[in-house]
Amino acid sequence: MNTFKIIEIKESVFANNDRQASLLREELKKRKTFLLNLMSSPGSGKTTTVLKTIEALKDEMKIGVMEADIDSDVDASLVSKTGVKVIQLHTGGMCHLDAYMTKQGLDELEIEGLDLVILENVGNLVCPAEFDTGASKSVMILSVPEGDDKPLKYPLMFSVVDILLINKIDAMSIFDFNIEKVKERVKKINPNIKVIPISAKTGEGFDEWINWLREEVKSWKK
Amino acid sequence: MHELGVMIEVVNYVEDFAKKNGLTKIDTLVLQIGELSAIIPRYIEACYPAAIDGTMLENTKLKIEVLPANAICRECSKVFNVVQNNKICPRCGNEKWELLCGKEFLIKEIIAC
Ligand SMILES: Nc1nc2c(ncn2[C@@H]2O[C@H](COP(=O)(O)OP(=O)(O)O)[C@@H](O)[C@H]2O)c(=O)[nH]1
Ligand SMILES: [Mg+2]
Ligand SMILES: [Zn+2]
Repeated sequence: MNTFKIIEIKESVFANNDRQASLLREELKKRKTFLLNLMSSPGSGKTTTVLKTIEALKDEMKIGVMEADIDSDVDASLVSKTGVKVIQLHTGGMCHLDAYMTKQGLDELEIEGLDLVILENVGNLVCPAEFDTGASKSVMILSVPEGDDKPLKYPLMFSVVDILLINKIDAMSIFDFNIEKVKERVKKINPNIKVIPISAKTGEGFDEWINWLREEVKSWKK
Repeated sequence: MHELGVMIEVVNYVEDFAKKNGLTKIDTLVLQIGELSAIIPRYIEACYPAAIDGTMLENTKLKIEVLPANAICRECSKVFNVVQNNKICPRCGNEKWELLCGKEFLIKEIIAC
């Protein structure tokens, strides 16, 4: 009779996703397509920001969009009106995208010749932060009505992104929201993060955001 | 929640591992989950039966070990639990520290033959 024994494995469960994400990033680099992973809570203004960003950049670069909002194609149809290539990813109720799903989406989108692909991730501040999608850079949107204490509640999300957009600053006077406090809290978690206050409604702050994105897309091709 | 998708991946990995190593019976699967991981032990336990259904792990017991969220203080080098100490060094009151562990999600070992 066989006897049971303890067999050590010591495998990190996310290691597999991390490996796939690195491979995808290398492939994107070779193909000179910049992938932007956009994350936030539902309603923070991802779609509105995507639309305004497309308007600002569509004459100077080829853009594609992948929408991952759970079980709805409202966002995709809004975006397709701008004339850029867009697909709706159906995540089957999943709360995040991993590198494998992102890769499948990119294959469906056909990225040949695209300079920039924007991925509107599932609206959620917890799970998407755990999974590297293979994106060139990650952006998070925090909107004014959500409150300035979010970095304290969701530190992981703030620690994995390259840039934080504080959206809906046109509504600042109605809410008790302190931008300096957010900056201070966020820099404690992520010293290299860039913070840009914007309004996707009025366009305030978009110059700085668009300049950042333009430079990143350019340097990705080098 | 993402726990089911993640657990299916774990079960696949273990099945693969067992086949490669000529194992036929897995008595227990041991996972390690950090206190600060986005994976919640309670949810893992809840979706475990669905994840092992129809697989080689169908009769395998699940054991979860929780790893503490320990950090080292950048000021005085004390090692302390961040959750229990409210993210503040209990010795010098500093808020600057480096996390040593607490975010992991590992397949630690299996008891098998
Ligand atoms: N006042 C104001 N409303 C905004 C702004 N950006 C988005 N919204 C509104 O917020 C709601 C949610 O925006 P949406 O882009 O769909 O958010 P998503 O769920 O993150 O994609 C919509 O009603 C938008 O019109 C902004 O900068 N200011
Ligand atoms: Mg949206
Ligand atoms: Zn200390």
